[in-house]
Amino acid sequence: MATIAVPLGAQGEGQEAEAVRRPALSDYLRWSVDHKIIGVQYGVSSFLFFIIGGAMAMLIRLELWTPDLDVMVSGAAYNSLFTIHGTIMIFLFIIPMWAAFGNFVVPLQLGAKDMAFPWLNAFAFWLIPPAAVVVLLGYFVSPAEAGWTSYPPLSTLFSGDGQTLWALGAHLLSISSIMGSINFIVTIFNMRPPEMTIWRMPLLCWAVLATSIIAVMATPFLAGALTLLLLDRVAGTTFFDAAGGGDVLLWQNIFWFYSHPAVYIMVLPGMGVLSEVLSVHSRKPVFGYRMVGLSSMGIAFVGFTVWAHHMFTSLQPELRIPFMITTMIIAVPTGIKMFSWLGTIWAGKIRFTSAMLFALGFLSLFVIGGISGVMLAALPFDIHVHDTYFVVSHFHFVLFGGSVFAVYAALYHWFPKVTGRMMNEGLGRIHFAFTYFGFLFTFFPMHVVGMLGMPRRVAVYVDAFQPWNQLISFSAFVLGFSTFIVIFNVIKSYFHGPIAGANPWRALTLEWQTTSPPPATNFVDDPIPFEDPYGYGTEASAAYLEVVDEAFSGGAPAGRGSH
Amino acid sequence: MDNSRSRSPSISPAAVVVTAVFLLVSVIGINWFTTFVPLVLPDQASAESKSVDELFYILMIIGGVVFFLIQGMLLISVIAFRARPDDQGDGPTYHGNPLLEIIWTIIPAMVVVFLAVVSFNIWTQNSEPKASVNMVEGHSIQINVTGARYAWTHQYITERFDPDGGQIVINSGPNLHTYIGQNVDLTLQTQDVIHSYWVPAMRVKQDLLPGDPAQGGRPTELRFTPVRVEGRSYPAEYPIVCAELCGDGHGRMRGAVIVYEDESQFLDLFYEPAIHAILNPPADPVLRGEIEIQNYICNSCHILDSLGWTATTGPSLNGIAERAGERVPGQSAEEYIATSIWNSGAFRVPGYDQQMAAFGPDVMEVANIMSPEQLYSIVAYLCTQGEQSDCDMEKASIAIPNAIQTVFGYQVDITFGMNGDDDETVPEVDQETDTETNGESDDSA
Repeated sequence: MATIAVPLGAQGEGQEAEAVRRPALSDYLRWSVDHKIIGVQYGVSSFLFFIIGGAMAMLIRLELWTPDLDVMVSGAAYNSLFTIHGTIMIFLFIIPMWAAFGNFVVPLQLGAKDMAFPWLNAFAFWLIPPAAVVVLLGYFVSPAEAGWTSYPPLSTLFSGDGQTLWALGAHLLSISSIMGSINFIVTIFNMRPPEMTIWRMPLLCWAVLATSIIAVMATPFLAGALTLLLLDRVAGTTFFDAAGGGDVLLWQNIFWFYSHPAVYIMVLPGMGVLSEVLSVHSRKPVFGYRMVGLSSMGIAFVGFTVWAHHMFTSLQPELRIPFMITTMIIAVPTGIKMFSWLGTIWAGKIRFTSAMLFALGFLSLFVIGGISGVMLAALPFDIHVHDTYFVVSHFHFVLFGGSVFAVYAALYHWFPKVTGRMMNEGLGRIHFAFTYFGFLFTFFPMHVVGMLGMPRRVAVYVDAFQPWNQLISFSAFVLGFSTFIVIFNVIKSYFHGPIAGANPWRALTLEWQTTSPPPATNFVDDPIPFEDPYGYGTEASAAYLEVVDEAFSGGAPAGRGSH
Repeated sequence: MDNSRSRSPSISPAAVVVTAVFLLVSVIGINWFTTFVPLVLPDQASAESKSVDELFYILMIIGGVVFFLIQGMLLISVIAFRARPDDQGDGPTYHGNPLLEIIWTIIPAMVVVFLAVVSFNIWTQNSEPKASVNMVEGHSIQINVTGARYAWTHQYITERFDPDGGQIVINSGPNLHTYIGQNVDLTLQTQDVIHSYWVPAMRVKQDLLPGDPAQGGRPTELRFTPVRVEGRSYPAEYPIVCAELCGDGHGRMRGAVIVYEDESQFLDLFYEPAIHAILNPPADPVLRGEIEIQNYICNSCHILDSLGWTATTGPSLNGIAERAGERVPGQSAEEYIATSIWNSGAFRVPGYDQQMAAFGPDVMEVANIMSPEQLYSIVAYLCTQGEQSDCDMEKASIAIPNAIQTVFGYQVDITFGMNGDDDETVPEVDQETDTETNGESDDSA
């Protein structure tokens, strides 16, 4: 029989009157070393970039409404538009957005008072605003127009100063990412409560751990590639200039050695979120916990061996086969996760909360991205669809259908913990419906135009593709509209949402065993985790949750921490 | 009750039945779907396209099974396992099922191994070098493709020779000409950035990689064999697309593969007329220039209404003859035009920041090589572009060669094409000269 122990000591009598104190909005604009503040800072700034990047996507789709160049002044202007769209979405939205949830949730799930290196944590965040300024200024100086992949020589000999600023900004963001990741690794390995062995750790922590290991190992390669690019651009070196003895494929190799693992940096935390949300909202343990945790590590490891599949049309033909095989292998750990999640909800008692809807949406869309991923791994077929809209579709299924849906699931799931208020579930369902169908009809038809012969990164196309593109653009506008619903919901709920209480979802992981929002030190005493983070359905877990409910009923704050 | 990590529920018969039904539904669904494949893929115009599409069917069938299996289980879950509104309880405490986990690790692993083997076989079969490539009249000839921002040029290094013993090179601009059954083997080179040569109907694609021009660049290869497509009339045309971002005009960097029914149609409609035109250039340099200029990639950057060019990367060539004399002090109009083609960096038209590639007798890029005679005719042609011309048109046949000699130090043989021993063409050309030249002036007016 498990010991039922919770972070008590906070439920002292006479404290009911004191309301749970939320940080003032101005606290979020200041330097703070509190991981919860930093988490929100990451989250809000990333979401702002999501809106900017999304607005650019709307412009892209507006341009593609007709086969001719009409919205943008030139092909080059269109190129810089999707370059900055991709750069913002990857470097300023998805990656920092996971730092937001990682920052807020991971120390709480570990029962820790903060991250291992609070100052470093704040520093990593505060690198992002200057980096964003540098990247965005570059857009207004003479914009980078070589795509977010910035292949030389287009990005070296044929681009303006915006490309230099792009590289500098990406450099700063790499530094931020490395520092944040080191912090997560140290925190997760050293700051767990004694009862929480690595095999009792919540799966979000597993995912963030795997992500951070990838980021620490891979990001230095991006930094190296960017340094070479900068030297070629400003110092007259010829690393990528064949006329000076360089090699254009050098960039592609180093860049993708980072950027393919970076895909997992962008999606693994989302998979961690999914394990949490699916388990809590279907009231069942995660099916095959160990394999789900280990498959994150498997993906992280195999992810380092597949980079050259991005170069199937440029790589020496004899090197293509090995990368096809490694790329196909990575489908196996991903498949383990998919099936384990299905096993998790199977026979459960599913609550259709907004968080759960987005998690189920992730499952249903990510499987399409996974299937098209295996198709792209198949070398002969990839040769046909490489660098076409098929690829655009594939990576949006992974990064929007995957990562963004997981971001929304995480938002609806942890918003009560962050703000102490529930989000509006009705609006959440409407948001889900618009997002899901808007997404599906935007990105699914892209497979077809790609196979029919439409390359990516073009502002003009042949007339025959216009009906497809109009369907895509129309759906994209619906998808764009859906964002307003969630923005409205967040603002409305922040001020007027029902009080959440400590544990609205009756979840077992430690972040729910304290007030919402948690006090500055998170817990009053060292909390004792339940023996199994997903042990739903046992009497022990019911008893544990009951004790927690009693401890925090009436919105009693945790004592010393709040002031 | 203790939590039961050890409890391992057996797979229920219902689940087996449901799985079997979904497998059946998905296989039927996929078979039905494959009838739509012609709608989502272009014509199968090459031998390679058939095997690639076979792989696509296999991928669709396996992908379809996975798709229906997972979406189906998801659908069943959300319908069958939704909590009743008053049910606050938890689900059963299953922690996993090792057998099931082994199954869903091993089966996908076997499936991807199968796919890898199939893909490998198709790949080796498609990329195997063919014994006889680019066969024309029993000779294996060299076909070069050059990518430059933002146009393709194709060159046929023929096995024919001109009277001086020089090998005849056909320049067919953005179009590749081939015929059913010819094993095409292209040598691809770029002049600037990375491009990617994609023929969707052939299911082939290859990047063009910048190399060191001093060492012959970094040629890459592309192979395919056109096959007959039922219901097409020949010659058939298939688009060539640039698939790697190359800059402003990436989207309009297009061309066409023109497939002839057989070698004799290829020879009659393309090869022989092209060689004939090279051996018998129009005597009038203006007429010849109009042909020559279209063999280079000028259309990728310039506007010229007379030829229907619309690109805006470089300055417009409409009415160039009216302005050419005023651009650089001390330089005559014909000297300016010749210099601009040869050394575009010498004078940059205000408002344009991209330097044009060099074209001339001794440039490194093969596709840009321009003999003094070709240059002469192109300058002569451009000198007709405008209502009135700054060029000394009265004495053009002396002034332009003089200008070229001043600029390059090359002697121009102005008697080219005028050797007079070709009785059939000379009178014709003379006749056309007047009408065509006037026509040009009218067009640009």
